[in-house]
Amino acid sequence: MKRRAPLYILLTLLVAVVLVVAGMRQGSIEGADYATLLQALRHYDATNPAHVVLVELRLPRLLLALLAGGGLALSGYLMQTMVNNPLADPYLLGTASGASLGALVITILLPASSSMTPWLVPVGSLAGAVGATLLVIGIGTRRGRLIPTQLLLAGVATASLFNALGGLITFRAQTDSQLRAAVSWGMGSLERAGWPLLAGPTVAVVLGMLVAWLLRRHLDVLLLGEERAATLGLDVGRTRWLLLLASSGITAGVVALCGPLGFVGLIIPHATRGLLGVTGRLNLAFCTLLGGTFLLACDLLARWLYPPAGLPVGLITALFGVPFFVYLLRKKG
Amino acid sequence: MRFCLFLLLVCAACSSPADKQPAQPTTVTVHDDLGRAVTFKAQPRRIMALAASMTEMLYAVADTAAIVGRTQVCDYPAAALKKPVVNSYPLDFETLVGLHPDVVFTTEGITSPADAARLQQLGVPVYYQTYRSVPDIFRGLRELGRLLGREPQAHRLTDSLQTELQRLTADSTAGNRPRVLAITWLDPIYAYGFNTLFTDKIRRAGGQNALTETFPQPYPALTREYILKLNPDVLIGGRFGKMDSTFFRMYPELKRIHAYQQRRVFAITGSLMERPGPRVVESVRELQRLLRSAQ
Repeated sequence: MKRRAPLYILLTLLVAVVLVVAGMRQGSIEGADYATLLQALRHYDATNPAHVVLVELRLPRLLLALLAGGGLALSGYLMQTMVNNPLADPYLLGTASGASLGALVITILLPASSSMTPWLVPVGSLAGAVGATLLVIGIGTRRGRLIPTQLLLAGVATASLFNALGGLITFRAQTDSQLRAAVSWGMGSLERAGWPLLAGPTVAVVLGMLVAWLLRRHLDVLLLGEERAATLGLDVGRTRWLLLLASSGITAGVVALCGPLGFVGLIIPHATRGLLGVTGRLNLAFCTLLGGTFLLACDLLARWLYPPAGLPVGLITALFGVPFFVYLLRKKG
Repeated sequence: MRFCLFLLLVCAACSSPADKQPAQPTTVTVHDDLGRAVTFKAQPRRIMALAASMTEMLYAVADTAAIVGRTQVCDYPAAALKKPVVNSYPLDFETLVGLHPDVVFTTEGITSPADAARLQQLGVPVYYQTYRSVPDIFRGLRELGRLLGREPQAHRLTDSLQTELQRLTADSTAGNRPRVLAITWLDPIYAYGFNTLFTDKIRRAGGQNALTETFPQPYPALTREYILKLNPDVLIGGRFGKMDSTFFRMYPELKRIHAYQQRRVFAITGSLMERPGPRVVESVRELQRLLRSAQ
């Protein structure tokens, strides 16, 4: 299987390129074709609507899909390795529910007239994500040592608490618009994509990838179990902390902008291991690429099914991710 | 002889013309705008509405002493604020039933069919109205008048509103009709769709809804690209300064639309825009004023 890894990577890369090319043609404005794209990339004209749409809207959206999907897949891979549990996903530490709570506080509790409201949603969700993660880590550690089982349970409990608080805030919504905004945020979207806002998830994902790459040899050792890994000379505590920080940093960065995108971080690591094996030199790279390509495909499908705004992409990831996940489980069984 | 005369008088009294007329029905069965058969007490004496717009309509047509309550969002007219409050979301069944209304009026989309069915089980009939155009509102007012035994009042009101509306419309038929996009939420962007009352109101005010495509939802979510394609002449959603620091700062690409470049970005009175009630002509007048100031 490992010998096939480069082939799988090449194939996925090819699919990603095809999807990006197709995605550049998908939208409402007519005349935004490939010739216009080439023209826009060479001589960008800010007064030409087709140039603006291609460069300012479609391109960042496609990049955000690749970045968010790749980031969540990588985050899930690291999290599953860290706790040595195949059920772990990037939202294990309550990150998604924390981010949702932060977004709901801004959307519903702040008066609609506040001029800062739209800007505060990503900031509020980032604060919620970081706050929930720190809370779970605080509960899941003892004398500075991470205890995976305790961490898992703390994550489930914190997510329930934050979801309940989110429900309480949603209940206080005064208008239909507030309710629609809250519900819509909870289903995930890539519509906020824009060059300035891409900086946050880009930094989070790139830093996370760097940490994962530096720890790539330790990941396989950690999968042997805590005691064996320690016997082989691995500083298990330190490795887990680094994995945890990388994983939660990526998730917070992505969720703050896109909302919770379900199943990407759960199924893509499994698909990676199913195709390339449990351990492998290229697993991290393939997992990231596959996650990005998967989300890109889901976003294109969402927009194609329900133009112009598209279905919330989080629905598509779940609708298509779950059957695929079941298929993998059955195949493995 | 006297006894015979007495018997004749009694018989005459028993066969008086009044007794020959059929007795007034105690209940009436009517079909509401959703086509549901609703049975309630004829000429109800205890009524209330579960929608803010419908409360305004009841205050315009009904005997206000018959209105037994309001919801937490019903804030117009000021007299409504003195009525007992029934929470509409989630619906406070207990308080509502405790007010013993003969019938409850609501609009489609405000009260769920499940809540209406539950109220029906609890002995409170629910009557729905729907509006797609301004004449629908006038029809709704007249219908309320008929159901509440206040037809003259309802007709006087609708006649006066219609006259005023005709005067306004006559003023706004000439010239180009600017394409107006009215947004209800900034993130994600939701707008008044083509199949909403706004389309008719803005047409009567002298403009046209920039959204001409019909979507399944009355208030569809829009992408920035779609708004760029629409390129509306006027944007309703907030005053220019506020929108400049929120909406257009968040979506700088949209600064290319005509509405922004010509500073035709306006705020509007929320309750007038959102409520299909007797203040609909006032709402058209406000839209007309905005369009004129944009010229």
